[in-house]
Amino acid sequence: MSVDIYWRIGTHGDQPSLRRRVVSRGEWAPVVEGSLAPGVRDGRRDDYSYVEHMGDVARASEVSGFVGGLLPSFPNTDDPWATAATLARETTTYRFMIAFQPGFLHPVQAARMSASLQRATGGRVVYNVISGGGGPDQLWWGDKVDHDDRYARTSEFLDVLRGVWDGGPFDFEGRFYRVEGAGLPQELTGQPFPEIYFSGSSKAAIDAAGRHADYYLSWLEPFHALAEKFDQVRANSDRTPKFAVRIDVVARETEEEAWDEIRRGWDNIDPTVLRGATGDSIGWQRSQSFVTGAITGHRDLEVTPNVWGGFHLLRGGPAFGLVGSYEQVAERLDELINLGVGAFILAGVPHLEEAYRVGENVLPLLRGHDLRIDSPLLEGTSS
Amino acid sequence: MASFVITLPSRGNGGRGARPGFPGFVTDPRGAFNPFDHLTQAGRAAEIAAFHGALAPFDPQGEESLVAAASLLRQSRWLRVVAGFHPGVATPVYAAKVSASLQRFSGDRLDWRISVDLDPAVARAQGDFLEGADRYARAEEFLTVAKGVWSQEDYTYEGRFYQVLAGGFLSPLAGRAFPRVHLSGTSKEALALSARHADVHVFEPGDDIEAVDLPGVTYGLRLPVLARDDEDEAWRAARRLWSGGGGAADALPDPDPRTGLWAGFGPPDPGSAPGTGSSRAGLVGSFETVAAGIRGYIDRGVGAFLLEATPHIEETYRLGERLLPLLAKEGAHVR
Repeated sequence: MSVDIYWRIGTHGDQPSLRRRVVSRGEWAPVVEGSLAPGVRDGRRDDYSYVEHMGDVARASEVSGFVGGLLPSFPNTDDPWATAATLARETTTYRFMIAFQPGFLHPVQAARMSASLQRATGGRVVYNVISGGGGPDQLWWGDKVDHDDRYARTSEFLDVLRGVWDGGPFDFEGRFYRVEGAGLPQELTGQPFPEIYFSGSSKAAIDAAGRHADYYLSWLEPFHALAEKFDQVRANSDRTPKFAVRIDVVARETEEEAWDEIRRGWDNIDPTVLRGATGDSIGWQRSQSFVTGAITGHRDLEVTPNVWGGFHLLRGGPAFGLVGSYEQVAERLDELINLGVGAFILAGVPHLEEAYRVGENVLPLLRGHDLRIDSPLLEGTSS
Repeated sequence: MASFVITLPSRGNGGRGARPGFPGFVTDPRGAFNPFDHLTQAGRAAEIAAFHGALAPFDPQGEESLVAAASLLRQSRWLRVVAGFHPGVATPVYAAKVSASLQRFSGDRLDWRISVDLDPAVARAQGDFLEGADRYARAEEFLTVAKGVWSQEDYTYEGRFYQVLAGGFLSPLAGRAFPRVHLSGTSKEALALSARHADVHVFEPGDDIEAVDLPGVTYGLRLPVLARDDEDEAWRAARRLWSGGGGAADALPDPDPRTGLWAGFGPPDPGSAPGTGSSRAGLVGSFETVAAGIRGYIDRGVGAFLLEATPHIEETYRLGERLLPLLAKEGAHVR
C-alpha cells in the first residue's frame, strides 16, 4: 500500500517563520511593515488576492512531490470549494482536500459541485469531512444541530451523496434529508467518488467514521496515544480503516538547527500565554494531558523524542509536531507508518518554502515498513 | 447602454457534445482535454467578444454553476460571471461565504441568478419539498441572511428557515461587493421579492413588461437569438435548428406577427420556472433585424439582456463582432 503525503495550504494567511507570531502573508491580520498583502499596490487596488499565494503553495507542493493539500475551513478563512474551483486548472497532479461541514451544503449540491470539480480536475477532489467543533462557531455558521446529531447528519449526508453519485434515481427519507428521484445527470456520472478523510474523537465520531471514512484523520499526538486511538477506531469499524495524521514539521539539516528554530520562537512568546493557554476543543484537552511537569524551557514540551507539543504557541493550530534533523523526522514518520498510518498531512511554516524543504530533504529518506514494529517510542512518554 | 450577458453551455461536455472518433489512420491527440476546456473557452469568448458578462445557468442536468463560475472568473479579467442556483443548495451563510472568496479572487465580478420557482419534480430531486409561496418566503430569508452576514458584524437572525447567532464576516472577507442579484417571475410573490432584493429582474420575451413596476431595479430579458448576414440565411439556420431539435419540417412555427418572436428555440431548461412555454421564443433575422428587436425592448425599459445562442463559442464571437456594435452605436447616438 502506498502512503499519500499531503501538504497543507493555509486558507487564513501564513507567517514568514515560527520565530515571530505575525501572520503577515495575506491580508488576514492587520498589515504591518513587510506584510505581503495582495490587493493594493501603490495605494491602488490591483485585484490580486490571497488566492495567488495559495496557488503558489499548491504548485510548490506538487513540484515537491506531495499528492495534494488540505484546505481548512473556518469562519474567517477563504472557502475551500471556491479555492479548489479557482485553482483547478492551474495545477496538474494536486489533489484538493476540501474541508467542509455537512449541513452547510445540501448533499445533492455537494454531489454536483464535486462531480463538476472532478471533471475540471481529472478526479483530484478529496473530502475532509468535519462534523463540527461546536461552541459559538456552529451558530456563526447558522447551524443549531447538536453535537451527536451532527454525526448522524453527517452519516445521512454521505448516504445521500453516495446515493445520487451514480445517477439514481434515488429516493431517501431521513431525519435531516429527503430527496425524490434524485441523481446526478448522466454527463456528471462516472467520476471517481472522492476519498473521505474523517476526524473526531468522540464515540459518535468514531462510529460514523467506521461507516464512512476511507481514512481516519487525527492530529499528531504522542505515538502511544495515537496507537490507542487507532485501536478504538479499529474496534468500532466493520471495515479495515486506514489512518492519517496531520503533522507540523520543523526539519533541518541538523537537530541543533531545528531546535534553535523552535528556541527563537519560544523566546518571543508572551509568558502570560504560557501560563494561561487554554482551548475549548476535545483535541486540545487531549493535547494538554500529555504535558506533565513544570515548563521551564521549550524542550520540556518534547514529550517523546522529536515530538514537540508547543506548536500552538508559535502559530495557530494544533499543539503537536515533529522537530529534528531530516533523518530524525523521517524516522518518526516511518514509525507512524508502522503504526498503520497510510497518509500524512504535513505542514510547515512558511508553507511555500517548507514544502520544498520537506519534499526535497525528508520524503526521500522515508523507508516505510522496514522498521521494527516494537519501537521503544510506543511505550509511554519518556520525559 | 444596455448590458449584454451571454449564456454559457452547461452540458454537452462544455457545449460541444459528443465528438466522433477520427478514422484510425489519423493521429488523434484529443484525449488530454476535459469538458472544462470547452466551457472555459466559451467564457473567454464572451470576454474577448466584449460581452459584459456570462451566465452559468442553474441546470440540474448539467455542470454545477458555482464551480463553472469560479473556473471562468479565474480565467477572465473583466467578465462578470452570473452563477445560477436555487436557495436550497446551501445555507445562506455558506452561499455567502463561498461567494465572498470568489469576490476576493475575482475583483468582485460574481453575480447571482437565483431560481426560486423550480418545477416541483426538479425541486424534489434537489431535496427541496417547499412549494408555492413558501419558496418566496424562504428566498426572502435566504437573501436577507446572506446580505446580513456579508455586511454586518455580530449579526443575529431568527427566522422560519434560518438562524444565525453572532455571525457576520470579518476582514478581509468583509467589505467586498455583494453579488448582484438576478431574480425572475411575474407572480405577486416574485415581484415583491424582487422589489426588496433584486438588482436585476429577468423577464421572459413574451412577458408584459409594462405591467410591472419595480423602481430602482434593472429590467433584464432572457432572449434566445439567431442572427445572420441576411434574413434568408438566418431562416435557413432557424430551420436547421428546428429540425435538429426533432421538429417536423411542416410544423415549423412562424414568428409571432405582433412581437416578431419565433418559438422554435427548443425546450426550456429543466431549471426554469413552470409556464415558460413548450419552446423558448426569441429573435431570428439579419443582424439589423435582431438589433431592431433588441432596441424595441430597450425602449420598453430593458437594460440587461441575457442572450442565448448555440453553438456557444462561434455564436458568441459572431454576436460580439456583428450584433453588439450595432447596439453600441445606437446607444452612442441616443446620448
